[in-house]
Amino acid sequence: MARRLNILEHALSSLLRRKQKNLAIIVVYTLTVATIASVLFLTQSLRSEAVNVLAAAPDIVVQRLAAGRHDLIPIADAEQIRRMPGVGKVEPRVWGYYYDSLKKVNFTLMGVKDSPTNLPLLQGTFPANNEQCTLGKGIAEAYGVTIGDSLVLVDSSNSSKLYQVSGLFIADSELLTNDLILLQEAELRRFFKLPDGRATDLAVEVYNQREVATLAKKIKLALPDSRPIGKTEILHTYDTVFNWRSGIMLTLFASALIAFCILAWDKATGISADEKREIGILKAIGWDTNDVLLLKFWEGLAISLTAFLLGAIIAYLHVFFYGAGLLAPVLQGWSVLFPQFNLTPAIDLYQLFVLALLTIVPYIACTIVPAWKTAVTDPDSVMRS
Amino acid sequence: MILNPGILALLLGSSIAFLMLLYAAGLGLKILSAWDPQSSSEQQLLLERKTWLVSTIVNYAFGFVVLSGLLFIYTVEDIHRLFIGAMCATGALNANEIGWLVLLVKIILFFAAALWVSLNRLDQCTEDTPLVRPKYIGLLLLTPLVGLDLLLQYSYFSGLQPEIITSCCGSLFSLGNDSVASDIAGLPPAPTMIAFFICGGLFLITLVLSLGSRQAIFRYLLFFASVLFFFISLLSIISFISLYIYQMPTHHCPFDMLQQNYGYIGYPLYIALFGGCFFGLLPGLCQPLKKNPSLKREIEKRERHWLLLAFFAIVVFLAIVAWPILFSPFILLSY
Amino acid sequence: MPRTRLFVLFITALTLLLAVLLAQGIRQAANPSFSQRAEKKALVATLGLTDLSIWSEARYTRHPSQADLFTPFQDYPGAFDHFPAGSIIAPGQPKPQTTLSFKQRGEQ
Repeated sequence: MARRLNILEHALSSLLRRKQKNLAIIVVYTLTVATIASVLFLTQSLRSEAVNVLAAAPDIVVQRLAAGRHDLIPIADAEQIRRMPGVGKVEPRVWGYYYDSLKKVNFTLMGVKDSPTNLPLLQGTFPANNEQCTLGKGIAEAYGVTIGDSLVLVDSSNSSKLYQVSGLFIADSELLTNDLILLQEAELRRFFKLPDGRATDLAVEVYNQREVATLAKKIKLALPDSRPIGKTEILHTYDTVFNWRSGIMLTLFASALIAFCILAWDKATGISADEKREIGILKAIGWDTNDVLLLKFWEGLAISLTAFLLGAIIAYLHVFFYGAGLLAPVLQGWSVLFPQFNLTPAIDLYQLFVLALLTIVPYIACTIVPAWKTAVTDPDSVMRS
Repeated sequence: MILNPGILALLLGSSIAFLMLLYAAGLGLKILSAWDPQSSSEQQLLLERKTWLVSTIVNYAFGFVVLSGLLFIYTVEDIHRLFIGAMCATGALNANEIGWLVLLVKIILFFAAALWVSLNRLDQCTEDTPLVRPKYIGLLLLTPLVGLDLLLQYSYFSGLQPEIITSCCGSLFSLGNDSVASDIAGLPPAPTMIAFFICGGLFLITLVLSLGSRQAIFRYLLFFASVLFFFISLLSIISFISLYIYQMPTHHCPFDMLQQNYGYIGYPLYIALFGGCFFGLLPGLCQPLKKNPSLKREIEKRERHWLLLAFFAIVVFLAIVAWPILFSPFILLSY
Repeated sequence: MPRTRLFVLFITALTLLLAVLLAQGIRQAANPSFSQRAEKKALVATLGLTDLSIWSEARYTRHPSQADLFTPFQDYPGAFDHFPAGSIIAPGQPKPQTTLSFKQRGEQ
């Protein structure tokens, strides 16, 4: 034990003696770990947020497919679904998209029927009449709107219509309502010129959660042109989207990892004449190959541990204190309205374990052969030269 | 294919480990063909140096094998949410017929790599390194095993379809089914428990005897006791240990205990069992090597250490098993 | 061994810092007024929301769970998926149940 500690002591002092070189490795290593860790932490937290929050989504959403596309569904179908045993309420929903060509922004317009009182995360009220609207925070920020201002939209008959802003969603709901514009349902129907007796889709309430899949099958059987989407499928989409997403991003960052490995390999291979002489002297005074390998192991461990811990801490601060500010542009794509991530951390030891394997294993693999080359240095030939 | 970070880490790590081992196996072939301990030529010196590289690579690879085994179980636990009907690792392993094979290969790999690393340690401490040939033949066998592990892992993960409806542990390890798993679950708890504790006692007795005497017979007995105990323990985990851990007379799953709800008790349980059985096997396996005087010295120097480690690990294992049987309000057997 | 002591101290400090951060994260997740999960769930339930509003650039990125398998390509047959977010979103479920098959001449 004492011998091992002595070798560790020597490893640390030899690391310190080549400050610049090792500092460079630690900085790059830390950055690599921090990047990969940020992706992992961000996607994991987004996933847990989605799965937790969307647990309250409609049990089944029934769409109609026409000519292979999503089409308006007859409200009469709602009655048919409601008569199925086990089904609670069936809400025909009206919603759609609206594009602002000036700012190149897409909005989601949603119709609401009755305005619930004291809804959380809302400042002001729901649209109480056909002249009012409620906006998500992203829109309010992008256009600098506050309650009482007016929103001008051009409807399907190409006439402008003014809506007074009666409410704004507050920042905490950004991930859900960022691009949302709520109007009265009747007004939205008029706005989109939707035919009477049709809705965008139907939200079905199911009393027994275990029956959701069975009911979805029944609906599909009764209405062959429909496409029922169960709640588990919604949750599932988000589970896989973020798995997929973090997987792809990790694959992209693999190139960064490879670049880092090349650097580590290069730094480990190109040992200076000084270092060679040092190993030669150590071997001449009685260290055997095993001791030198142990020395190199300690060096690698010291560097890896430092870089790993620093990287994980930086990533944590980046994602949860600075809203993943550096990653957001990568995720954003062409979205103009992009929410800020105020995420609730959902990190456990598994994430750290995966992170450690993803970063430390390649580093070790890159340094084994150079470390061995150093360890088998022949003292005689080194000291002679 | 599910691109889960854990899966990526497993595949990346296994690929790296396999590549490194391939390189090591190449060196091993060279060493095998030209090894001549009597010679003092430059080539022999070079080969002797290369053995250090090979052993370093295998040491790291072994470390990775242990970690990847844990990560594999952990990842399979994590992705079970993606499968309809899966409630723990069993469901995810069932989602694809290769799942269980991967687990089996990982267990074999653990014992094989641990054995190689221990023998290599022994060998490198002697002056004349008599084990070079068997070691490098062993390496040539170990490398394809790591390759097989990588291949199976890849085909398991790439064959996973999230929409697959799989069965959970409740249906696999339930009584009245015609599968092997349900036969194991259906083992009567009382006789299994007796067999388990008798076998555990046998293990500890032969272990103490081996500690006290140098006779070869005790080491061989311990070897057989370890093998027997390992399998009986695996059966017992499904048959009755799981019941006590979950405190449910029908819950036979060997993986649920790795979940947070049960305080991750499965990890110390399995690590103690695997470690304890390995160190119980080691003295018996090394007994024939004692013919060589230099190896004999090294083995005898370490044997005590191995036996104590095995003793400690199995006592921990038995303690974890016995604790809920003795102290929990759950009563499976009424007297 | 001053350097070893210093190093161990340094690593312990970093580990502790990371542990504190993780513990704080767990505390935040358990704190309902921080995560506002209940409020958000109420909002989701009232509005019947099905998706997170992360990518508003296209229908299938705004509502991935409502989009079907071929939404990314529905502008015209064989259209490219040209939204960056589309390249990192897996297509939604459930898929249409329709099938295509052929019968050879003379086959019943």
